[in-house]
Amino acid sequence: MSYPLHLLPQHFTLENYQAVFAKVPLLLYLKNSVIVCVIAIFAQVIFATLAAYAFACFEFPFKKLLFSLVLATTMVPGEVVVVTNYLTIQNMGLTNSYAGLVLPSLISGTAIFLMRQYFLALPKEYKEAATIDGCGEIGYLFRVAMPLAVPTFASLAIYLFVQIYNQFFWPLLVTHENAMRTIQIGIAFLVTGDVISFGQILAGAMIAILPSVLVYILGQDYIIQGMTAGGIKG
Amino acid sequence: MTKAMHRIQRKNKFLPYLLILPSMLLFSMFTFYPFLKTIALSFFLTDKRGNPTKWAGISNWVRVLSKETFWKVIAITLEIAGINLVFTFGLAIFFALLSSQKKKGGKLYQTMYALPMAIASSPAAAIFLFIFRQKNGVINSLLGGANIGWTTEMPYAMWAVCIMTIWMNVGISYIFLLVGFRAVPQDLIESAYLDGAGVWARIWHVMLPMASPQIFFVLFLNIAISFRSFAQIKLLTGGGPANATKNLIYYIYENAIINGRYETACVQAIFLFGLILLFTSLQFALEKKFVHYQ
Repeated sequence: MSYPLHLLPQHFTLENYQAVFAKVPLLLYLKNSVIVCVIAIFAQVIFATLAAYAFACFEFPFKKLLFSLVLATTMVPGEVVVVTNYLTIQNMGLTNSYAGLVLPSLISGTAIFLMRQYFLALPKEYKEAATIDGCGEIGYLFRVAMPLAVPTFASLAIYLFVQIYNQFFWPLLVTHENAMRTIQIGIAFLVTGDVISFGQILAGAMIAILPSVLVYILGQDYIIQGMTAGGIKG
Repeated sequence: MTKAMHRIQRKNKFLPYLLILPSMLLFSMFTFYPFLKTIALSFFLTDKRGNPTKWAGISNWVRVLSKETFWKVIAITLEIAGINLVFTFGLAIFFALLSSQKKKGGKLYQTMYALPMAIASSPAAAIFLFIFRQKNGVINSLLGGANIGWTTEMPYAMWAVCIMTIWMNVGISYIFLLVGFRAVPQDLIESAYLDGAGVWARIWHVMLPMASPQIFFVLFLNIAISFRSFAQIKLLTGGGPANATKNLIYYIYENAIINGRYETACVQAIFLFGLILLFTSLQFALEKKFVHYQ
């Protein structure tokens, strides 16, 4: 970059993109990020649906206590437990593995809360009709409630994608090997590494930004729904 | 009761617990257990792998709390929170009021104002470093070739961290406020207009009070988010110069991961939790007093 700085770039070139792809395994980083996102999103959607179904549609001893435990998890920020979680993953020998990257993200209080809202809003008549037709509790969940929940699943998945794809602190701690880095950590090492030119760093940053921005633009209504569902009464 | 119905009832008795089990197991492993362990470790000496070796009583706490750096770090954490609160809230409410009326092209503005929310911190830091860097950085060039170390000199390093923090957070606040303003009934605004209320009167006497739950939520959300600022500090300043931008999270990271002082990091993590809890309780207490729900 030459001085003085120009408001508009002087020459259009894709050289920086070619160079950064040649020097840094960006595609590998992206693959790692996508694998982490897919596993975490699937796990959260499934586990949260099961738990939310129980909290919304069943009466059982200790229900209140168990649900307040779920709510309590949203009061403990990940940063407070990050050190001991790191120790757990280290002692399990799971640093530099997909398991280590995703384990703390397989469930969240927010996901359970969001799915519970969905079950509570579902008309009771559906359940009654299903029961009369001989459908059991599990049958109702899989054959009636879940197919109708697809928009809610989409909302949750998009919200989680942006959140998990953009994770920084946790993957920074549990990955030391280049081959296991997620895209965000890969870019962070470009930024602090000082090896390649700024044009190339910015090219890498654009590649990292693209997926979450695209998902955001296409799914912003879902994200807003997800964000504001658990947030406030009112 | 027939046998079959008995069986269904018995099955149903365990079913809800079975449904909750996977979630609870995961919460136990990665939230409850580490939380309790963090408390426990803060009273022990630990080895290099973070295993407790010797009961230390409150000596870890005394050592951490009597260190001058620690209180400086707390002051910086609160300072970042305060600056972030004022500017993020100010910008977000400005943008949200601007785009609260559903108009043609409104969606474009909505996407634009909220977009930083979707951009991860490390590529964002790459862009901010490009703007802030000393040699040929965007700002220094705009200042006619100034030689300011935006990430290495005080007070500029603090400004750099805060500017990026504000930029990262405006989108989230904006969305919550926008949802609040959009929920204000249109006929209420119109009747205020017919009663001769100007733009400011409509904002001050109708929009803001009606959106008070969201406004209140956003104020505290910003405090909570800024306590968790990490990537911008790690990537822009590294906590420097001379610890001037080191907040509590970064300090915890440094103690645990770089220095391997897990017990120190645990004391600080519990302190961080206490700090967040304090502000959350404050939020609940004030909410009862000031916020009125329709």
